[in-house]
This record gives sequence, structure tokens and C-alpha cells, in this order.
Amino acid sequence: MTLEVRSVEKIYEMNSVGVHALRGVSFDIAQNEYVAIMGPSGSGKSTLMNIIGCLDVPTKGSYVLDGSDVGTLGEDALAEIRNEKIGFVFQTFNLLGRSDVFHNVELPLIYAGMRPGQRKKLAEEAIEKVGLADRMRHRPNELSGGQRQRVAIARALVNRPTILLADEPTGNLDSATGAEIMQVFDQLHSEGNTIILVTHEDNVAAHAHREIRLFDGLIASDTLQSEAA
Amino acid sequence: MSRIHSSVEALRIALAALRANKARGVLTTLGIIIGIVAVVTTMTAANGLANSFRESVSVLGTDVLYVSRTPWIIQGRFFQFRNRPNLKLKDSDKLARQLGSEAAVNPTDDARRPVKYMSEVIDNATVIGTTDKHMLVSSAVPEYGRFLNAHDVAFKRHVCVIGTTMHEQLFGDVDPINKKIKVGRAEFRVIGVMEKQGSAGTFGGPDFDSQIFIPVTTFVREFGGRFRSFDFAVKAPPGTSVEDFEYQVVGEMRKIRRLHPSEDDDFAINKMDSLLDAFNNVMGVVLMVGLAVTGISLFVGGVGVMNIMFVSVTERTHEIGIRKAIGAKRRAILQQFLLESSMICLLGGAIGVALSFGVAAAIDKFVLPASVSLPIVVIALTVSVAVGIISGFIPAWRASRLNPIDALHYE
Repeated sequence: MTLEVRSVEKIYEMNSVGVHALRGVSFDIAQNEYVAIMGPSGSGKSTLMNIIGCLDVPTKGSYVLDGSDVGTLGEDALAEIRNEKIGFVFQTFNLLGRSDVFHNVELPLIYAGMRPGQRKKLAEEAIEKVGLADRMRHRPNELSGGQRQRVAIARALVNRPTILLADEPTGNLDSATGAEIMQVFDQLHSEGNTIILVTHEDNVAAHAHREIRLFDGLIASDTLQSEAA
Repeated sequence: MSRIHSSVEALRIALAALRANKARGVLTTLGIIIGIVAVVTTMTAANGLANSFRESVSVLGTDVLYVSRTPWIIQGRFFQFRNRPNLKLKDSDKLARQLGSEAAVNPTDDARRPVKYMSEVIDNATVIGTTDKHMLVSSAVPEYGRFLNAHDVAFKRHVCVIGTTMHEQLFGDVDPINKKIKVGRAEFRVIGVMEKQGSAGTFGGPDFDSQIFIPVTTFVREFGGRFRSFDFAVKAPPGTSVEDFEYQVVGEMRKIRRLHPSEDDDFAINKMDSLLDAFNNVMGVVLMVGLAVTGISLFVGGVGVMNIMFVSVTERTHEIGIRKAIGAKRRAILQQFLLESSMICLLGGAIGVALSFGVAAAIDKFVLPASVSLPIVVIALTVSVAVGIISGFIPAWRASRLNPIDALHYE
């Protein structure tokens, strides 16, 4: 299994009152799965995404990613896992505004300690893959929303992560552009990538082959979908 | 390997941040600039002071002892020296006889008298009664004309040798040789002009170039000798160590003074070393004060930088979140902000050093010879980077400790 989540609970302390965001969640995700995690706001969706993305650790239960138990790791070790095994795509793109496309995509490789020659090759490959080879030296504010999200996808891909984790990737885009971005994800899935989408939009979730629905910190349903899209 | 690449990235970010906030950077560094100007100026002035002091005392020579009634540097109770008997001119002759012909003994004393040539007057010039032995115990030589000789001394001639400054002030372009000048009420014939010596005047010490030398015998006749205490400059014979010679001089002086073995010396042996020691003590104090001022302004500057770094961290919280999400470790973030604060301070330091060159040039022109040296520049820049690292540490530490999720959602 690429990813094993076992009885994960997450309790936030707010004003000395424990808020149970996740109350015992278990599932596995295998390599090259295409999963949508859905649920209304407050269902624990974001918390689960943060844990899967190694931005946070569970209060109870275990999370094993690619063979290593993430729950026991310190902050720097988590940073290393995020760098090597996870590619993030955010709703708000989260690009560095002062840096050009190339540098944004290159950044994870810099933190991985790769030498400049190799970095250039990999970053250019990733940028070409999302169709922005002619925008290499542009800054994010010179690009459209769809193009920015493509840059974010290129950045997520550049270090060949174990999973691509997308949080409402079309949330800030119009429907036509959103559809384009989803095509990019479909393409990436067909090339063998493992993709996890966090969304509340059914038409986005419809691209995935499996749908995990959360409600009140628990899994309400976990269903395989017929080949839609 | 990984460290190097993330350092390069950190440097890139720091420079970009600096470029983006030029005015803020320069304003922030005002304290640093002042501090660095203070440190560079203090050190440069101290260097200049030390150099010009050394240059002026070097006239005295390290192998010459000065027998005087009191020490040059009196520490503590003055009254214990006050009642000592004077050193008489004839004591100098006795000392010379007892030490043998190899050793040079030069008795001197000085007085303040107006010196006049035609309508030009120098009030309060330093008149030095000395002998032909002056040439043996001092490195001073006449630039032209000649110095006093044994006959001038023996026959109490009214001849004088003047310093270069006095030459310029009294005569201008006129050749002074054989001109008559008035020293006090007596008339003297100029027989020579001394070479330029450089001045210890900056320290309240003697300005060797404004002095006028006359035979000590003439000096006594014109200005009186009975109540004077002379200084004897004594030079060891070639091949004698200064330490051994000092013992010998003390012994001979005790004989001349007829001191009982149980009595203490009632004279003092002065050396250039003792002047240097005293000078170094004073310099130490000057440096301490300068460095204290520097320390205070650097502290104030550092607090300013710390403030601006807190602002910078807050402004870039979201960016920190992004960097952490894609794998920046705490050290990488820490390094990024430490580099930014060091760069700000280095900028301030560089501006400070540049200004210091101007200040040093002004000191050089109006006060004393001074120039900014490379080691001082290196020290100043190192200090500014150190201030940057110290004052940037807490903000950078906080940035590195930010929770990635909170930072990502910060707008």
C-alpha cells in the first residue's frame, strides 16, 4: 500500500476544549489510485488533507506513507517527506509572487539539495508537461488563473512525488478552465501517478475512481465509481 | 551539498528582499551606520594618535636615559618629590667624569621666553639650554648651518639653533643664518636650523620644531641657574646594555648626591619606555570610551534591525508557509532571514565605512595624520554582519518555528 490510514483521530485544543476534527478514520490508498475526498465543511476534510500531506500529525492512530510511519516524525523529517513524497496543488495556487515560473517550479528541488544543472532539466520538463514552456520567465501575476494552477501542478510534479494532493484545485477557476485543469490531472493519472483530490464539487469528484465521503469526523462512505469522466 | 544550495537560495531571497525595500533598508541601518562610523573613526584616530606619538618620541631614542629630579610620570604623591634637591649643572660634569669619556652626558633645561626678529615675535617660545652633546643623545640634526659646538658652550656664546617652524614664523623666505634675534632681552646670532622633527604637540607634549637651542652656559647667565634643576640625558657607551648602564648611572648619581645606603634615591631615571607605557594607558582609556559609544549605537541599530525583521517575517508569513509546504526545513527558513538581516547590516556597515573615509580625511586634514586601514575595514564589516546575525536571530527563529498550516492560511 502506498498509504495506510489507521484509526486516525485529530483533536484540536481550542480554549482548553478539545475539538474532535477526526474521530477514527481508516482507509488505504494503493499506487495509481485516483481518489476524491468529499464532505461538507466541518466534516474534517481539511484536517485529513493536512495529515495526508504531512503538514500535521494525527493525535491518535497511525499514518504510514510509503512504508514510513509519519505520526512519529518531527517537523524537519516531515518537511523532508513533504519535499520528496508529496506534491501539493492548492486552491489559491500558493506561488511565490516575486519569483518567475521557472524558479517556482525549481524550488522543491532546491530544498531537496539538487545541483543546478539537474534542477534546470527537471524543472523545464515539468513546465513543458503542463504546456507553459513559453512562459518560463513570467511571474505569476502575468499569468491567467488556469496558467497559475498549471505552474502549481508543475511544481507539485517536479520532484516525482508518491502522491499528488490537490485541495479544491478548481475552486478559484471558471468552469472551462477548471475542466482543463481536471484534464491535466486525468492525464497525470493515466501516466501512473497517485492522485488525491479534496473537493466538495461533484463534477470534480466525478473524475476520480474512488470517492471517500466524510461526515462529522468519520467516513460516511467509501465507494469505487464506475469509469466515469 | 543540500546546505550549499539552500544557502544560495537564501542569499537570493535576502538580496531580493533588500532590493524590494531599499529605502526601508537604509533607514533601518542608520543606527548601524552611526555605530560603524564611530568604530572606524575611533580606531583610525587611535592609530593616527599612536603613530604620531611614536614618531615624535622616537626623537628621544631608546638607548638614552634621562636623569631628572622627578619622574616624568608622577603617580600618587607629588610632595615626596617636591623637596628633592635640584640637579646642578656642575653635577653633570661630575657624572660625565665618573662615567668616562665613552658615555655622553648632556645637561639641559628649558625656559619660556618671547623670541623676536625685526617685527616678528613668537611669545612664549621654548628656549632650551643644551650642549654640543645634544647631537649624541638625540636623532635631531641641523638641516643647514651647524649645531652648537663645545666652544659655544665653553665661551658662553650668544648663538642659537632654531626649529623649522620657528624659522618659517620669524623669517619666512629670508635666510636666517647669521641674523640676530632677541630671546628675552638678550641678542643671539642664528647659526643653524634643525631638520623637521614632527610634533608631539597633539598630546600637550613638546613641539620639537618650535624650539630654540642655546648653549646651556649662556642660558644660565641670561636666565639664571641657581634655582634650576637640570635634566641630564645620558647615553650608554657603545656595547653596553641599557639595563647595566642604568645601574651604573644610579650608582654614580648616588655618589654625587652623597646618599647613605639606607637613603632612597632623590633623583629619577626616566626612559622613553615609561612615556610609552603612560601613553598606552591613556590610549587604552580612549579606546574603551570610543568602543563604549560604538557599542551603544550598534545596540540601538541592532534593535532597529530586529524590529524590521519582525515586520519582514510577518509580511512574509504566507511565503514561509508555501516554502515549508514544499519542503523547506526550519534551518532553511532560519538561514533565509538571518542572511536578510546580515545583508541589511552589511549594507549599513558598507555605508558607514564609506562615510568613515570622509571623516578620516577630515581628521587627517585638520587634526592629525590618520587613514582608514584595511584591517579596520574588515573589522567594521565583520562587526556589522555579527550585529545582523545577533539582531536577526529571534525573528528568524520565530519564522523557522511557524506552523506550516497556520502560515499557509495567513493573509
